Amino acid sequence: MKAVIRNLTLLAGLGISFVLSAASTGAGQAEGLDDQVQNLKNEVLELNRELFLLEEELLFPANTQVSVFVSMDIGEYFSLDSVQIKLDGKEVSNYLYTEREVAAMYRGGVHRLFLGNLKTGSHQLVAIFTGTGPHGRDYRRGATLDFEKNIGTKFVELQISDRQIKQQPEFLVREWE
Amino acid sequence: MRPLAILVAGCLLASAVYGAEKLSTGIIRDLHYGEVLFDFYQDDYFSALNKLLVARDADRLTHHETEAELLLGGLYLSYGQHQRAGEIFDRLLNESVDGSIRDRAWFYLGKVQYRRGKYDAADVAFGRVGNELPQNLDAERHLLMSQGLMARGMFEPAAEILESWQGPGDWLAYGRYNLGVAMVRMNRLEQGASLLNKVGLLSDTSAEISALRDKANLALGYAYLQQDFEGQAKPVLQRVNLHGPFSNKALLGVGWADASQDNYRQALVPWLELKNRDLLDSAVQESLLAVPYAMGRLEAHGSAAENYLAALEDFDTEIGRLDIAIQSARDGTMITALLETDDPQIARWYWQLENIPDTTQARYLYHLIANHELQDGLRNYRDLMALQQHLDGWARKLEAFDDMVATRWIAYEQRLAPTNSQLDAVELDRHFANRDRLAARLEGVEQTRDVAGLATGNELFLWQSLQSLESHPAWQAEGMEEAREKYRVLKGFLSWESDRKFKYRLWQKKRSLSELDAALAEAAQRRDNVDASRDSVPLDLEKFSQHIASLAPRIAQVRAKVIKALAVQQNEIQVMAVRELETQKERLATYRIQAQFALATMYDRATAASN
Repeated sequence: MKAVIRNLTLLAGLGISFVLSAASTGAGQAEGLDDQVQNLKNEVLELNRELFLLEEELLFPANTQVSVFVSMDIGEYFSLDSVQIKLDGKEVSNYLYTEREVAAMYRGGVHRLFLGNLKTGSHQLVAIFTGTGPHGRDYRRGATLDFEKNIGTKFVELQISDRQIKQQPEFLVREWE
Repeated sequence: MRPLAILVAGCLLASAVYGAEKLSTGIIRDLHYGEVLFDFYQDDYFSALNKLLVARDADRLTHHETEAELLLGGLYLSYGQHQRAGEIFDRLLNESVDGSIRDRAWFYLGKVQYRRGKYDAADVAFGRVGNELPQNLDAERHLLMSQGLMARGMFEPAAEILESWQGPGDWLAYGRYNLGVAMVRMNRLEQGASLLNKVGLLSDTSAEISALRDKANLALGYAYLQQDFEGQAKPVLQRVNLHGPFSNKALLGVGWADASQDNYRQALVPWLELKNRDLLDSAVQESLLAVPYAMGRLEAHGSAAENYLAALEDFDTEIGRLDIAIQSARDGTMITALLETDDPQIARWYWQLENIPDTTQARYLYHLIANHELQDGLRNYRDLMALQQHLDGWARKLEAFDDMVATRWIAYEQRLAPTNSQLDAVELDRHFANRDRLAARLEGVEQTRDVAGLATGNELFLWQSLQSLESHPAWQAEGMEEAREKYRVLKGFLSWESDRKFKYRLWQKKRSLSELDAALAEAAQRRDNVDASRDSVPLDLEKFSQHIASLAPRIAQVRAKVIKALAVQQNEIQVMAVRELETQKERLATYRIQAQFALATMYDRATAASN
């Protein structure tokens, strides 16, 4: 009796499997269906690429397209909560960041905060950053950019960086060609 | 609904095995590359892949070309596209002379081969890696090499790799654990114990390492029990966290360690604690037999019999529930319920079920999705669901695009006639002709130095007044000498003044003319723009219409394939779920027989004793 139960027990106990084993990484899957799924993914990726390009061309043609990106360079003195964007006095975006998003930006990710259309000519962009600054204080800063919208696409980068000497965050607005 | 969070795959494994490398990016010189990284660092590989493909197609990654290719290969690999990933890494090896790129390409190529189960080819690729691979990737390389060796039963060289490990500790822990379990399975307890012990004594408090530590202690504890080293088993099993997911098996094992040394009273302590836990766990099921067994050994036969009877009842109830669950797995309702609570958009390696439906069958779901094979099936199913959702989203968008193009056609046609008449009314050619006349006149004035031609209105008035005096009948009369003298002086002054100002006025007029030229050029440009749009808009709209019309059936076609694959995959999951539940049922049936047998034996003994 004892031996029987023990054997059962040991089977259950050693049912603990490998972690990271080859079998668990897909090598042992039913190849047919797995291949089929891979092929479908390829087809969808290909379709997606075409559809994204079509969408951009249709909704945001190059001659009116404006994109605003947010990036972080170090960002030691500022923990970002949200960014608000006004274009020519009109609010076009107010984005609250998750910790995961901020972490991604901290590592080099760039968030496209706004994608829209503007007529050619002079425009003004105002960005308001809120978050936590040095010494855990609430922090709210604005940055302004007067820019010309020409025929080509316009990319604007809002960059949060550190001003080491003053130990304060710095908010830069930069136009990209 | 009861909240239940189930992490299907460990986070470390997520980023390590399936996830592409976390790149050290340096300065981002293409915003769109940074945008891809934004999704990538959030483990949203599908979005990152899409954005990378679009950005590459639109030529927006010129400053990060090679890095982007490497990332693309990594993303394909993460997304299970082994073949495409392999093609990219092969290409990078042929094209790149940069050592770090080549090292990473060899590494990823090795990983592709490893994932395909081609361990020899993986070894060759891993062996080609030089010394410019980032530390985290090099750690992964060592781990994959040892895993590959283990998969081929070559444990000694696998152990050597792990022993000479220089990488991060958490990776080493996983490697040691796997090798330790493999050694135990090969009946090489001493070597296995040494490895598992190292993992079991780790002091790291992170959730992943804590879980791994518990698993190592559990595996080692049971290995000792199996080899009848009960004294060594108990302290190892006691290292398992009492509130963790492995506590049930640890409690059971601790009881057996005591029972094996005939210390049944002590064995009852963990077993009685176990007995009241969830009966789904095999350790709890076994405790229902272990408790009366210990009682019997302690001569408490009455209590033992009661407990056997209660166990039989519990087993019967559970078998009944399992029959219902098997039926619902068979007819698909259980899997449907499981998948309905899931959001396929959540990154595939961080799958969490926030809410599992609080039904009788739902309690089996937790156990079901702990099964690796089933997880792979579910992962494929979730990927297919996500593909279907993407395609549905695009199908809806395409309809909206089609409407948009139709609206633009209407707007264009409505605007065409007024635009044409406005353009006609502008008479730009007439303005150009006027400008040419003005220019010619100015040229004449300059060549003949016609100072009067640039005179002001007042000066002209004065000239005309003087000229009218000359033609007056009384002008030559006597007594007009003084007036004629004044006239002479005045005329001389006017000529001198106009002559003096001529050059300046000529310059002013030329400047005005060039301003007019600029204004006219701009107007002409605008007119050309309007003309061009008037011609291009219908062509563009036609192009959009055709593109949309060609994409719609392609989406429908792929969607149909996805739905078909979903059905096949769902069926496969159902078969696996039924098989898993049947296994549980068989185990319970075996326990049931054990309980009946034990009870019968007790009754026999009691009858024999009374006789």
